[in-house]
Amino acid sequence: MALSRREFVKKGSLSLSFALAGSNILLSPAEAYAKEVPFTVLNAGEVLTLESVCEILLSGATESGVAHFVDHQLGVDPNDSLLVLKYFSFPPPYTDFYRPVLAALKELSQTMFSKNIQSLNEQQGREFIEAIRDKNPPDWKAPPAPLAYLALRNDTVDVVYGTPEGFKKLGVPYMEHILPPEGWS
Amino acid sequence: MSKNEKVDVVIVGSGAASSVYAALLAEAGKSVVMLEKGTARKLDDLYSSQTWARRLKWATPHMMEESKDSIWYNFNAGHGYGGAAIHHYAVWPRYHPEDMKELSLYGKGLDWPFEYDVLRPYYDQIQSDVGMSGDAEKEIWRPAGDPYPLPPVLQSNHGTVLAKGFAALDQPTSPIPMAILSQPYKGRDACIWDGWCDAGCPTGALANPLVVFIPRALKAGAMMKPDCHVTRVMTDTKGERATGVEYFDSKGERHEQHADVVVLCAFTIENPRILLNSATDKHAKGLANSSGTVGKYIMSHPAVTAFGMFDEDMQNYIGATGGQLLTQHRFPKEEGAFGSQQWEIALALKPNDLLGIAMSRADLFGNDLHRFMKEGSRGMSSMVAVIEDLPQAENRIELSDKKDKYGMPLALAKHSWHDETRKLFHETAKEGLEIIKAAGAKEAWHSPPGGQHIMGGTIMGHDPTNSVTNENAQCHDVPNLVMGGGGVFPTSSCVNSTYTIHAMAMKSAHHLTENWATIVK
Ligand SMILES: Cc1cc2nc3c(=O)[nH]c(=O)nc-3n(C[C@H](O)[C@H](O)[C@H](O)COP(=O)(O)OP(=O)(O)OC[C@H]3O[C@@H](n4cnc5c(N)ncnc54)[C@H](O)[C@@H]3O)c2cc1C
Ligand code: SF4
Repeated sequence: MALSRREFVKKGSLSLSFALAGSNILLSPAEAYAKEVPFTVLNAGEVLTLESVCEILLSGATESGVAHFVDHQLGVDPNDSLLVLKYFSFPPPYTDFYRPVLAALKELSQTMFSKNIQSLNEQQGREFIEAIRDKNPPDWKAPPAPLAYLALRNDTVDVVYGTPEGFKKLGVPYMEHILPPEGWS
Repeated sequence: MSKNEKVDVVIVGSGAASSVYAALLAEAGKSVVMLEKGTARKLDDLYSSQTWARRLKWATPHMMEESKDSIWYNFNAGHGYGGAAIHHYAVWPRYHPEDMKELSLYGKGLDWPFEYDVLRPYYDQIQSDVGMSGDAEKEIWRPAGDPYPLPPVLQSNHGTVLAKGFAALDQPTSPIPMAILSQPYKGRDACIWDGWCDAGCPTGALANPLVVFIPRALKAGAMMKPDCHVTRVMTDTKGERATGVEYFDSKGERHEQHADVVVLCAFTIENPRILLNSATDKHAKGLANSSGTVGKYIMSHPAVTAFGMFDEDMQNYIGATGGQLLTQHRFPKEEGAFGSQQWEIALALKPNDLLGIAMSRADLFGNDLHRFMKEGSRGMSSMVAVIEDLPQAENRIELSDKKDKYGMPLALAKHSWHDETRKLFHETAKEGLEIIKAAGAKEAWHSPPGGQHIMGGTIMGHDPTNSVTNENAQCHDVPNLVMGGGGVFPTSSCVNSTYTIHAMAMKSAHHLTENWATIVK
């Protein structure tokens, strides 16, 4: 059953099958972002919140397609999901995590600064993240804020640094055996 | 409801333990079927990506937890062909003789129903079957055993630098014993040290179940079926013999698989869950549970990872995920807080996921995180200590009042460390920082506690009033019902469990074939 190295399929790294112009095509989350592939689970407001928070967590998150990544994973069978949330014993469906978390984050920014997250300056962004990192902020109405911090931070690191492009940015070789194949959805 | 044709042996699960039972029983001429709850999987489904590796984990919950110290079920369990073992790191040290006589020697823990010498020939046979790499002489703490068939795994600068830290504290290190091929072996290619073991090694260099024992089982005629969610072991009207298992397919249809012998290898949590769910009027407390011991003595190794930041290129991106070097210098159980401890040294690192570079400093974000990633991707070191978890009856699996979609109650885990274990954890975390600093790191820090290798819950012993199985993993109450996996271990040692799971399954499978007529009578 063992495979020799040359038999391995080599394709795009974190490629996901997105529906575009009526057919399923294989794109990385970053390509999906660049092509403005429509979202299937998250609404426009949720996408904006997600991208804004992840951008504070790690700049480059939006362009790396963090929202397309999360949106896609929320649409698949949870056992096939690639979200790190799986490790944290949060029972699926994972929309029951992301929806209330994104709503609570949006509200928190208003409570703390009377501003949308995307309008926070650097110092405010830092205070905003510190407010959720270690404990629930007052009146938090969502799954635990530190879990939200960990999950969104991991999602961000997955798309920014967990891909061959990410390894390249870090100056280390990817050395894959098999990259995810075309046609998976 | 559908009834399948009766077989000699039905094995529940397709992971580490199942694969050994299936191969040996099928090779002995028995008709064997393996029922796996998860998906069918091939080696070329194992993509090199820490993100994609999460497909190997369960999302649907099987277990609730009310623990002071979590057993880390989701991290440790896996699903689909190969089970958790499909992406295990293949660090394979042996149990020590004293682990199996803990109660007699120290008045703590429990005794195994046999001594090390009984298991030794199976360890030797398994290491030859799978092709282990190591240096038996340099492992000065290693119990008696044949030398490894292959030379040690790769050592990069990562291992060399950390070894200096251990040496400075007078702690010897050795190459880490691994079920990974350092050279081609029995038609399989050698490892190329790219560090993708956690995502599952597709080349056959690492002895996961799809590489050695499942191919042998299939070649000898065993069948393996995916999407079979086993819920109950069925018994005869007297309740003395297992007659097969009940399972549900992914469409929710109920099936029965009858067999002369039932082997439960559904991992440490699911085995007691199935037994407790198999209660009948003859076994009101659950099957094989006349002693009340099913589910008790759950153990999960406390683990702590010590990290360092160095100015030089550590070559931390090459090697096997499980590490390059080992020390069991602090194995003696009575040096300080009671229990054994080992360090697995120089784990190959990737940027993301739970054990990745980013998570080692979960507090950082923004530009601080960018800077840390850049520096850590060549300069960070990693080593993990595994600590003995003492068996305690109150650490247990029960049935929850929540049910899954087949109406089967979820497992409920309750687990906390012994005070000695907590002390040993803190001593170990402190020691880790000293070693890293002695190796020349400009910064040293450690992780919060984790849990590795879940064991216990269906422990073996001589006495049917305080154990679930005998020394051959046959249930005392139902001798044609056999348990596979670390669930039968009465003590946890501090060593990774999978080598011993293999050796124990081989011992039990030999016993079954040699005593078949009596057992199925
Ligand atoms: C990331 C990681 C790294 C590890 N590294 C090491 C290491 O370096 N060294 C080491 O010794 N160990 C390591 N381990 C532990 C090792 O994987 C386990 O010890 C081993 O897999 C346990 O074997 P098992 O047969 O009991 O369970 P598994 O291999 O998990 O197999 C159990 C199978 O049973 C199936 N199953 C469960 N319930 C049912 C049901 N109701 N019906 C049907 N099927 C069912 C599961 O889906 C699974 O496929 C590691 C584990 C992980 C997750
Ligand atoms: S490091 Fe070796 S064992 Fe691990 S995935 Fe690569 S080839 Fe396989």
